[in-house]
Amino acid sequence: MALPDLELVERARGGDPEAFRELVVRHQRRVYAVALGIVRDRDLAWDVSQEAFVRMHQHLAEFREDAAFSAWLRRITARIAIDVLRRERPSRRQEVEDVPEPELREAAPGVLSTALGTDPQQTVLRRELSGKLGEALDRLPEVHRAVLVLRELDGLSYEELAERLSIPKGTVMSRLFHARKKMQALLAGYAGIDAPGREGAP
Amino acid sequence: MRCAGAIPLLGSRPGEIDPTEEALLQAHLATCDSCRARLADVEALGVIVRDGLMVEAARRDLAGLADGVMARIPASAWRGERPGALGRARAFLRHHRVLAAASALAPALAALALYLYIDRGSGAGPAGLSVEVTSEDLAAIVLDTSDGPIILVGEGANGT
Repeated sequence: MALPDLELVERARGGDPEAFRELVVRHQRRVYAVALGIVRDRDLAWDVSQEAFVRMHQHLAEFREDAAFSAWLRRITARIAIDVLRRERPSRRQEVEDVPEPELREAAPGVLSTALGTDPQQTVLRRELSGKLGEALDRLPEVHRAVLVLRELDGLSYEELAERLSIPKGTVMSRLFHARKKMQALLAGYAGIDAPGREGAP
Repeated sequence: MRCAGAIPLLGSRPGEIDPTEEALLQAHLATCDSCRARLADVEALGVIVRDGLMVEAARRDLAGLADGVMARIPASAWRGERPGALGRARAFLRHHRVLAAASALAPALAALALYLYIDRGSGAGPAGLSVEVTSEDLAAIVLDTSDGPIILVGEGANGT
Protein backbone atom coordinates (compact mmCIF):
# COMPACT_ATOMS: atom_id res chain seq x y z
CA MET A 1 0.00 0.00 0.00
CA ALA A 2 1.30 3.46 -0.88
CA LEU A 3 2.51 5.48 2.08
CA PRO A 4 0.84 8.85 2.69
CA ASP A 5 2.75 11.99 1.74
CA LEU A 6 3.42 12.95 5.35
CA GLU A 7 5.03 9.60 6.08
CA LEU A 8 7.28 10.00 3.05
CA VAL A 9 8.12 13.55 4.12
CA GLU A 10 9.17 12.32 7.55
CA ARG A 11 11.31 9.61 6.06
CA ALA A 12 12.88 12.03 3.61
CA ARG A 13 13.63 14.40 6.49
CA GLY A 14 15.36 11.51 8.19
CA GLY A 15 17.64 11.02 5.20
CA ASP A 16 15.80 8.32 3.29
CA PRO A 17 16.50 8.94 -0.42
CA GLU A 18 13.92 6.43 -1.62
CA ALA A 19 11.17 8.19 0.30
CA PHE A 20 12.21 11.48 -1.28
CA ARG A 21 12.28 9.92 -4.76
CA GLU A 22 8.79 8.55 -4.19
CA LEU A 23 7.57 12.07 -3.37
CA VAL A 24 9.10 13.36 -6.58
CA VAL A 25 7.55 10.64 -8.73
CA ARG A 26 4.19 11.02 -7.05
CA HIS A 27 3.95 14.79 -7.59
CA GLN A 28 5.98 15.40 -10.72
CA ARG A 29 3.03 15.44 -13.12
CA ARG A 30 1.16 18.18 -11.31
CA VAL A 31 4.32 20.16 -10.60
CA TYR A 32 5.22 20.01 -14.28
CA ALA A 33 1.67 21.08 -15.19
CA VAL A 34 1.93 24.19 -12.99
CA ALA A 35 5.35 25.04 -14.40
CA LEU A 36 4.26 24.50 -18.00
CA GLY A 37 1.09 26.48 -17.48
CA ILE A 38 3.10 29.50 -16.42
CA VAL A 39 6.28 29.38 -18.52
CA ARG A 40 4.76 27.75 -21.66
CA ASP A 41 8.03 26.13 -22.65
CA ARG A 42 8.47 22.38 -22.20
CA ASP A 43 12.19 22.46 -21.47
CA LEU A 44 11.91 25.45 -19.19
CA ALA A 45 9.03 23.75 -17.39
CA TRP A 46 11.25 20.68 -16.94
CA ASP A 47 13.99 22.83 -15.39
CA VAL A 48 11.49 24.63 -13.16
CA SER A 49 10.09 21.28 -11.98
CA GLN A 50 13.52 19.94 -11.09
CA GLU A 51 14.42 23.13 -9.28
CA ALA A 52 11.14 22.95 -7.36
CA PHE A 53 11.95 19.47 -6.07
CA VAL A 54 15.51 20.45 -5.17
CA ARG A 55 14.17 23.40 -3.17
CA MET A 56 11.55 21.16 -1.66
CA HIS A 57 14.38 19.03 -0.32
CA GLN A 58 16.20 22.09 1.00
CA HIS A 59 13.11 23.31 2.83
CA LEU A 60 11.60 20.05 4.01
CA ALA A 61 12.40 20.96 7.61
CA GLU A 62 10.22 24.07 7.27
CA PHE A 63 7.17 22.21 6.04
CA ARG A 64 4.41 22.28 8.64
CA GLU A 65 2.39 19.13 8.83
CA ASP A 66 -0.90 20.96 9.19
CA ALA A 67 -0.55 22.24 5.62
CA ALA A 68 -1.31 20.27 2.48
CA PHE A 69 1.96 18.97 1.12
CA SER A 70 0.93 19.06 -2.54
CA ALA A 71 -0.26 22.67 -2.25
CA TRP A 72 2.99 23.64 -0.51
CA LEU A 73 4.99 22.03 -3.30
CA ARG A 74 2.94 23.66 -6.05
CA ARG A 75 3.49 27.05 -4.45
CA ILE A 76 7.24 26.50 -4.48
CA THR A 77 6.90 25.60 -8.15
CA ALA A 78 4.80 28.65 -8.98
CA ARG A 79 7.26 30.95 -7.22
CA ILE A 80 10.17 29.56 -9.24
CA ALA A 81 8.22 29.71 -12.50
CA ILE A 82 7.32 33.36 -11.91
CA ASP A 83 10.92 34.18 -11.00
CA VAL A 84 12.06 32.48 -14.20
CA LEU A 85 9.64 34.56 -16.25
CA ARG A 86 10.81 37.75 -14.59
CA ARG A 87 14.46 36.89 -15.05
CA GLU A 88 14.52 35.32 -18.47
CA ARG A 89 11.85 37.11 -20.41
CA PRO A 90 11.58 40.67 -19.15
CA SER A 91 11.09 42.00 -22.64
CA ARG A 92 7.96 39.92 -23.09
CA ARG A 93 6.22 41.12 -19.97
CA GLN A 94 3.15 43.12 -20.74
CA GLU A 95 0.76 45.05 -18.63
CA VAL A 96 -2.97 44.73 -18.99
CA GLU A 97 -3.31 48.10 -20.65
CA ASP A 98 -0.79 47.13 -23.33
CA VAL A 99 -2.46 43.95 -24.44
CA PRO A 100 -3.81 44.19 -27.97
CA GLU A 101 -6.85 42.10 -28.64
CA PRO A 102 -8.20 43.33 -31.94
CA GLU A 103 -8.79 39.87 -33.36
CA LEU A 104 -10.75 38.53 -30.42
CA ARG A 105 -14.50 38.54 -30.49
CA GLU A 106 -16.13 38.35 -27.10
CA ALA A 107 -17.91 35.07 -26.46
CA ALA A 108 -21.58 35.33 -25.71
CA PRO A 109 -22.49 34.83 -22.04
CA GLY A 110 -22.96 31.17 -21.20
CA VAL A 111 -21.71 29.86 -24.52
CA LEU A 112 -18.85 27.89 -22.98
CA SER A 113 -20.76 26.36 -20.10
CA THR A 114 -23.73 25.58 -22.31
CA ALA A 115 -21.50 23.86 -24.85
CA LEU A 116 -19.85 21.73 -22.17
CA GLY A 117 -23.10 20.93 -20.43
CA THR A 118 -23.66 17.62 -18.69
CA ASP A 119 -24.51 15.48 -21.71
CA PRO A 120 -22.02 12.57 -21.92
CA GLN A 121 -21.63 13.18 -25.65
CA GLN A 122 -20.39 16.65 -24.85
CA THR A 123 -17.41 15.23 -22.99
CA VAL A 124 -15.87 14.91 -26.46
CA LEU A 125 -16.06 18.68 -26.73
CA ARG A 126 -14.61 19.02 -23.27
CA ARG A 127 -11.64 16.86 -24.28
CA GLU A 128 -11.28 18.85 -27.47
CA LEU A 129 -11.23 22.13 -25.58
CA SER A 130 -8.79 20.75 -23.03
CA GLY A 131 -6.56 19.75 -25.93
CA LYS A 132 -6.74 23.29 -27.27
CA LEU A 133 -5.95 24.85 -23.92
CA GLY A 134 -2.22 25.06 -24.53
CA GLU A 135 -2.76 26.82 -27.82
CA ALA A 136 -5.01 29.35 -26.12
CA LEU A 137 -2.65 29.87 -23.18
CA ASP A 138 0.19 30.51 -25.63
CA ARG A 139 -1.77 33.48 -26.94
CA LEU A 140 -2.26 35.05 -23.54
CA PRO A 141 0.17 37.66 -22.22
CA GLU A 142 2.31 36.23 -19.47
CA VAL A 143 0.77 38.45 -16.81
CA HIS A 144 -2.68 37.07 -17.63
CA ARG A 145 -1.53 33.50 -17.96
CA ALA A 146 0.23 33.40 -14.61
CA VAL A 147 -2.74 34.76 -12.71
CA LEU A 148 -5.17 32.39 -14.44
CA VAL A 149 -3.05 29.27 -13.93
CA LEU A 150 -2.31 30.09 -10.30
CA ARG A 151 -5.97 30.74 -9.65
CA GLU A 152 -7.43 27.72 -11.42
CA LEU A 153 -4.76 25.05 -11.00
CA ASP A 154 -3.21 26.15 -7.75
CA GLY A 155 -6.35 27.57 -6.17
CA LEU A 156 -4.72 30.73 -4.83
CA SER A 157 -6.95 33.41 -3.33
CA TYR A 158 -6.93 37.03 -4.49
CA GLU A 159 -4.75 37.95 -1.52
CA GLU A 160 -2.30 35.12 -2.19
CA LEU A 161 -2.12 36.04 -5.86
CA ALA A 162 -1.45 39.67 -4.96
CA GLU A 163 1.36 38.65 -2.64
CA ARG A 164 2.83 36.12 -5.04
CA LEU A 165 2.75 38.43 -8.06
CA SER A 166 3.58 41.60 -6.10
CA ILE A 167 0.56 43.44 -7.45
CA PRO A 168 -2.50 45.03 -5.79
CA LYS A 169 -5.60 42.91 -5.27
CA GLY A 170 -7.52 45.09 -7.69
CA THR A 171 -4.96 44.31 -10.39
CA VAL A 172 -5.34 40.62 -9.65
CA MET A 173 -9.08 40.85 -10.24
CA SER A 174 -8.57 42.92 -13.36
CA ARG A 175 -6.04 40.50 -14.83
CA LEU A 176 -8.23 37.53 -14.01
CA PHE A 177 -11.17 39.18 -15.71
CA HIS A 178 -9.18 39.93 -18.88
CA ALA A 179 -7.54 36.49 -18.89
CA ARG A 180 -10.89 34.73 -18.61
CA LYS A 181 -12.51 36.90 -21.23
CA LYS A 182 -9.75 36.15 -23.74
CA MET A 183 -9.63 32.46 -22.94
CA GLN A 184 -13.39 32.12 -23.32
CA ALA A 185 -13.26 33.88 -26.66
CA LEU A 186 -10.33 31.79 -27.88
CA LEU A 187 -11.77 28.47 -26.76
CA ALA A 188 -15.21 29.28 -28.11
CA GLY A 189 -13.58 30.18 -31.41
CA TYR A 190 -11.60 26.93 -31.55
CA ALA A 191 -14.72 24.90 -30.89
CA GLY A 192 -16.87 26.88 -33.30
CA ILE A 193 -19.31 27.78 -30.54
CA ASP A 194 -18.76 31.50 -30.47
CA ALA A 195 -22.02 32.48 -32.11
CA PRO A 196 -23.98 34.64 -29.70
CA GLY A 197 -26.72 32.52 -28.22
CA ARG A 198 -28.11 34.91 -25.68
CA GLU A 199 -28.96 38.48 -25.35
CA GLY A 200 -26.36 40.78 -23.87
CA ALA A 201 -26.34 42.33 -20.49
CA PRO A 202 -29.42 44.22 -19.36
CA MET B 1 -25.67 46.50 -8.81
CA ARG B 2 -25.62 46.41 -12.61
CA CYS B 3 -23.85 43.91 -14.88
CA ALA B 4 -20.85 46.18 -15.35
CA GLY B 5 -20.23 46.12 -11.62
CA ALA B 6 -20.98 42.42 -11.20
CA ILE B 7 -18.85 40.99 -14.02
CA PRO B 8 -15.41 41.70 -12.48
CA LEU B 9 -16.58 40.06 -9.26
CA LEU B 10 -17.75 36.80 -10.87
CA GLY B 11 -15.72 33.82 -9.72
CA SER B 12 -14.76 35.37 -6.39
CA ARG B 13 -14.87 33.02 -3.44
CA PRO B 14 -16.68 33.68 -0.16
CA GLY B 15 -14.75 36.19 1.89
CA GLU B 16 -12.59 37.43 -0.96
CA ILE B 17 -14.54 40.58 -1.63
CA ASP B 18 -16.21 43.13 0.59
CA PRO B 19 -19.32 41.66 2.28
CA THR B 20 -21.49 44.49 1.00
CA GLU B 21 -20.31 43.89 -2.56
CA GLU B 22 -20.83 40.19 -2.11
CA ALA B 23 -24.43 40.74 -1.01
CA LEU B 24 -25.07 43.04 -3.95
CA LEU B 25 -23.51 40.51 -6.31
CA GLN B 26 -25.72 37.71 -5.02
CA ALA B 27 -28.80 39.92 -5.33
CA HIS B 28 -27.84 40.75 -8.90
CA LEU B 29 -27.21 37.12 -9.80
CA ALA B 30 -30.65 36.21 -8.51
CA THR B 31 -32.25 38.41 -11.14
CA CYS B 32 -29.78 38.42 -14.06
CA ASP B 33 -29.72 35.46 -16.46
CA SER B 34 -26.74 36.86 -18.36
CA CYS B 35 -24.52 37.14 -15.31
CA ARG B 36 -25.53 33.69 -14.12
CA ALA B 37 -24.47 32.45 -17.56
CA ARG B 38 -21.20 34.39 -17.28
CA LEU B 39 -20.55 32.84 -13.87
CA ALA B 40 -21.16 29.39 -15.37
CA ASP B 41 -18.59 30.23 -18.05
CA VAL B 42 -16.04 31.20 -15.39
CA GLU B 43 -16.56 27.86 -13.69
CA ALA B 44 -16.42 25.95 -16.99
CA LEU B 45 -13.17 27.68 -17.89
CA GLY B 46 -11.70 26.64 -14.56
CA VAL B 47 -12.50 23.01 -15.36
CA ILE B 48 -10.95 23.30 -18.82
CA VAL B 49 -7.79 24.94 -17.48
CA ARG B 50 -7.29 22.23 -14.86
CA ASP B 51 -8.08 19.39 -17.27
CA GLY B 52 -6.13 20.91 -20.14
CA LEU B 53 -2.95 21.52 -18.20
CA MET B 54 -2.92 17.98 -16.89
CA VAL B 55 -3.53 16.68 -20.43
CA GLU B 56 -0.63 18.78 -21.69
CA ALA B 57 1.62 17.61 -18.88
CA ALA B 58 0.70 14.00 -19.62
CA ARG B 59 2.08 14.33 -23.13
CA ARG B 60 5.62 14.58 -21.81
CA ASP B 61 7.49 11.54 -20.55
CA LEU B 62 8.68 12.53 -17.08
CA ALA B 63 10.60 9.30 -16.45
CA GLY B 64 13.97 11.02 -16.16
CA LEU B 65 12.86 13.91 -14.00
CA ALA B 66 13.32 12.16 -10.67
CA ASP B 67 16.79 10.95 -11.65
CA GLY B 68 17.76 14.51 -12.50
CA VAL B 69 16.51 15.76 -9.16
CA MET B 70 18.31 13.04 -7.22
CA ALA B 71 21.54 13.81 -9.10
CA ARG B 72 21.35 17.44 -7.99
CA ILE B 73 21.08 16.63 -4.31
CA PRO B 74 24.49 16.11 -2.73
CA ALA B 75 25.11 12.60 -1.48
CA SER B 76 25.99 14.09 1.91
CA ALA B 77 22.30 14.88 2.32
CA TRP B 78 21.67 11.19 2.66
CA ARG B 79 24.78 10.26 4.59
CA GLY B 80 25.07 10.22 8.37
CA GLU B 81 21.52 9.08 8.63
CA ARG B 82 20.19 5.59 8.76
CA PRO B 83 17.56 5.66 6.04
CA GLY B 84 14.20 4.86 7.50
CA ALA B 85 14.91 4.01 11.13
CA LEU B 86 15.93 7.43 12.38
CA GLY B 87 13.36 9.12 10.21
CA ARG B 88 10.64 6.91 11.61
CA ALA B 89 11.76 7.61 15.17
CA ARG B 90 11.68 11.34 14.50
CA ALA B 91 8.26 11.03 12.94
CA PHE B 92 7.00 9.09 15.94
CA LEU B 93 8.30 11.68 18.38
CA ARG B 94 6.99 14.55 16.30
CA HIS B 95 3.53 13.05 16.37
CA HIS B 96 3.72 12.17 20.07
CA ARG B 97 4.93 15.36 21.62
CA VAL B 98 4.28 14.24 25.21
CA LEU B 99 6.50 11.26 24.67
CA ALA B 100 9.06 13.45 22.99
CA ALA B 101 9.14 15.78 25.97
CA ALA B 102 9.41 12.82 28.30
CA SER B 103 12.19 11.26 26.31
CA ALA B 104 14.12 14.50 26.59
CA LEU B 105 14.31 13.85 30.33
CA ALA B 106 15.83 10.42 29.83
CA PRO B 107 19.48 11.54 30.01
CA ALA B 108 18.85 13.42 33.25
CA LEU B 109 17.12 10.41 34.73
CA ALA B 110 19.92 8.14 33.62
CA ALA B 111 22.42 10.48 35.29
CA LEU B 112 20.34 10.44 38.46
CA ALA B 113 20.24 6.67 38.42
CA LEU B 114 23.99 6.50 37.94
CA TYR B 115 24.52 8.95 40.80
CA LEU B 116 22.34 6.90 43.09
CA TYR B 117 24.08 3.71 42.00
CA ILE B 118 27.54 5.15 42.72
CA ASP B 119 26.32 6.71 45.92
CA ARG B 120 25.08 3.34 47.10
CA GLY B 121 28.43 1.79 46.24
CA SER B 122 30.19 4.27 48.50
CA GLY B 123 27.92 3.32 51.35
CA ALA B 124 26.31 6.74 51.58
CA GLY B 125 23.06 5.78 49.92
CA PRO B 126 19.97 4.30 51.50
CA ALA B 127 20.81 0.89 52.92
CA GLY B 128 19.56 -2.06 50.92
CA LEU B 129 18.14 0.08 48.10
CA SER B 130 18.37 -1.58 44.72
CA VAL B 131 17.99 0.98 41.94
CA GLU B 132 17.74 0.14 38.28
CA VAL B 133 16.77 2.42 35.45
CA THR B 134 14.97 0.90 32.52
CA SER B 135 13.04 2.32 29.64
CA GLU B 136 9.87 0.91 28.20
CA ASP B 137 8.61 2.01 24.79
CA LEU B 138 10.38 5.21 23.93
CA ALA B 139 9.85 7.24 27.05
CA ALA B 140 8.41 5.41 30.01
CA ILE B 141 11.11 5.47 32.67
CA VAL B 142 10.73 3.05 35.56
CA LEU B 143 12.77 3.01 38.75
CA ASP B 144 12.78 -0.45 40.28
CA THR B 145 13.44 -0.03 43.96
CA SER B 146 13.29 -2.45 46.83
CA ASP B 147 9.97 -0.81 47.66
CA GLY B 148 8.63 -1.65 44.23
CA PRO B 149 8.74 -0.04 40.80
CA ILE B 150 8.15 3.70 40.46
CA ILE B 151 7.02 5.13 37.14
CA LEU B 152 8.49 8.55 36.61
CA VAL B 153 7.26 9.64 33.20
CA GLY B 154 5.85 8.25 29.98
CA GLU B 155 2.61 7.05 28.49
CA GLY B 156 3.59 3.59 27.32
CA ALA B 157 4.23 2.01 30.72
CA ASN B 158 1.98 -0.84 31.69
CA GLY B 159 1.51 0.31 35.22
CA THR B 160 4.10 -1.90 36.92
